Amino acid sequence: MKKGNRTWNAIKIPLFAILCSLVAGGVIIAVTGSNPFRAYYALLQGSGLAPKASYANYKNILTDFFSYVNYFTPMIFAALAVAVALRAGLFNIGVSGQMLAAGFTATILVGYSGLGSVLAKPLVLLVGMIAGGAAGALIGFLKFKFNINEVVSSIMLNYIFQYVVSFLINTFYVDPVSRQSAEVSAASRLTLMDTPVGGLKMDIPLGVIFAALAVVLVWFLFEKTRLGYELKAVGCSRSAARYAGIRVGKCMVLSMTISGMLAGLAGVSYYLGYVGSIQPKVLLSTGFDAIAVSLLGNNNPFGIIFSTMLISLIGKGSTYMKSTAGVDSEIASVITGIILLFSACNVYMKWKLERRRQEKLNAKDAQNGQGGV
Amino acid sequence: MDIIIIDGLSFALPLFIMAIGGIYCEKSGVTMLAVEGLQGFGAFAGALAAVAVSGIFAGNSPVPFYIAMVFAVAGGAVFALIHALLCLRFKANQVISGVVVNIMAMAMTAYLTKLLNRVIFGAASDKFVLTVSSKITIPVISRIPVLGAVFTNLYPFELVIVAVAFIAWFIMYRTRFGMHLRACGDNPHAVDAAGRNVNKVRLSAIVICGGLSGLGGICFAYSISANFSSSIYVGYGYLAIAALIFGNWRILPTLGACLLFGFARSGGYRLVQVLQMPSSFQDLVMILPYVLTLLLLVFFSRQNGAPRALGEIYDKGAR
Repeated sequence: MKKGNRTWNAIKIPLFAILCSLVAGGVIIAVTGSNPFRAYYALLQGSGLAPKASYANYKNILTDFFSYVNYFTPMIFAALAVAVALRAGLFNIGVSGQMLAAGFTATILVGYSGLGSVLAKPLVLLVGMIAGGAAGALIGFLKFKFNINEVVSSIMLNYIFQYVVSFLINTFYVDPVSRQSAEVSAASRLTLMDTPVGGLKMDIPLGVIFAALAVVLVWFLFEKTRLGYELKAVGCSRSAARYAGIRVGKCMVLSMTISGMLAGLAGVSYYLGYVGSIQPKVLLSTGFDAIAVSLLGNNNPFGIIFSTMLISLIGKGSTYMKSTAGVDSEIASVITGIILLFSACNVYMKWKLERRRQEKLNAKDAQNGQGGV
Repeated sequence: MDIIIIDGLSFALPLFIMAIGGIYCEKSGVTMLAVEGLQGFGAFAGALAAVAVSGIFAGNSPVPFYIAMVFAVAGGAVFALIHALLCLRFKANQVISGVVVNIMAMAMTAYLTKLLNRVIFGAASDKFVLTVSSKITIPVISRIPVLGAVFTNLYPFELVIVAVAFIAWFIMYRTRFGMHLRACGDNPHAVDAAGRNVNKVRLSAIVICGGLSGLGGICFAYSISANFSSSIYVGYGYLAIAALIFGNWRILPTLGACLLFGFARSGGYRLVQVLQMPSSFQDLVMILPYVLTLLLLVFFSRQNGAPRALGEIYDKGAR
């Protein structure tokens, strides 16, 4: 098969999933009495991809777009985290918990430290990576050493992080007015908030640069390095990898560590970027939506960029959609859910497409055979 | 002490019935991580039914609760069909499918609750308000010291759960269907050779799991939160899965695990009250069941007796 053909096949299935979900979502919106096209256009407007009717002072379509970039940066990291684990045959459903752990650690270590911006920003990234990586490594270690299903252990850790962080915030770091953790210093924030640029006030997300870097690095890891090859081999078949002399246990722990580090970056770019504080007792849905994003992007780092932009578009635009088109913002997660539902069937669809191609080839062969006689 | 037993039981039994559902599904060879979503959707269906009929009955009538139970079982069973469709028909990865069902359940119930509240009941609310189920005390036996607490201040659903659990146990270990179901998880080819349709058995196992999870969900909605909202998703479904792994995929040991979780939780709450610690310490107590799960899994996961064909897609032609 030609390379271009294969890429087309890889894109065809996610496109089909998206189309089906948008149609299904549109039907739901239409049934509840709103105009689906207006609702979807409002999603674009809310994300700064289409002009709104009116703007507040110091704002225009560009500010909306930057705010959208700021919003989807954590999602890129989170989806990469899911993808790295999935490629190695592990399911990291604990991304949200790892994000919280990393965000909280970075908040108390760097966010409240009063360090200067040059020192604080890299430190935030570093602390986030270490904290998230440690949490991921623990899950990998439990799987390797004690045969504990990573799904169960990461969910248990999700709740443990959630409650412990909530306890610590309420006891030590609470802001009595907002009932959240006290806001981190501006120097440590990865997003430059309300920066005046040419008569506009913009939130400039620095994290997105690192997100792009992470995409390339993950691609490099899987396509160009030996470790990446081993991880993929373990993901395809654990026993075959073991017979080939790959140390499966090491690979599992490593992939969960890398996954956790990426989740940690997602955490700091959310808690010390998009927002500046942590709400106690709340686990973000980012880590779970990231599963949809990663599946939709075929677990491919570059595919993830596109699927992140799409899913975040639905999430980010839903508030504006509610105010203009009068559609409940909860529909956003329903549409995400339906996308997820369709992309979970991708193996079947791939198999179906392949079989149809085979049948076509066979039919052609039969015809040629007859012509020859 | 009595309070610990009473509260512990009312938490452990719904957990137990959900875990039994999980055992049914996993014993048939289908990985089940969707208990969380199924219990939520079941609770949603039940709560909707209860709110819809509540006007007909008097305020303290138990009838809406029983109607809710029936609808919760039906709702959970219907929603489980998504898992069945993905796993059996579309041969999806069963772990991913389970997570998809959970996410779908959360999204759909949140959306539908808001929508139905607005359209049908004309209220802008994201929850269905239920009553707390009334409690009963069994007259004579409840006076036995310590053990009597088991029969004091029972929620009526606890009796229902015990009855259903017994039936489930009987079907699993004493009937032909139960044997086929267990065989599907260990050696599906043998079941096929014996003339039974593996996918049909698995389908019924998934549906049973959905029904039992829904039952557990509505019990939680009626006891702990007294309403249906997205707060129903606090991970008890996953706790049930941990309990069944800890119980080695067998019903009786799983009951032990559930009781342990229940008493750890109620004991912790009691401790906070007795020592008069500030309420933020409740958050610390909340982690007890989860930490306990992890610790127990560390010790018991090694020699676990998971069904041998668990998570494998049944392929007639494979050897």
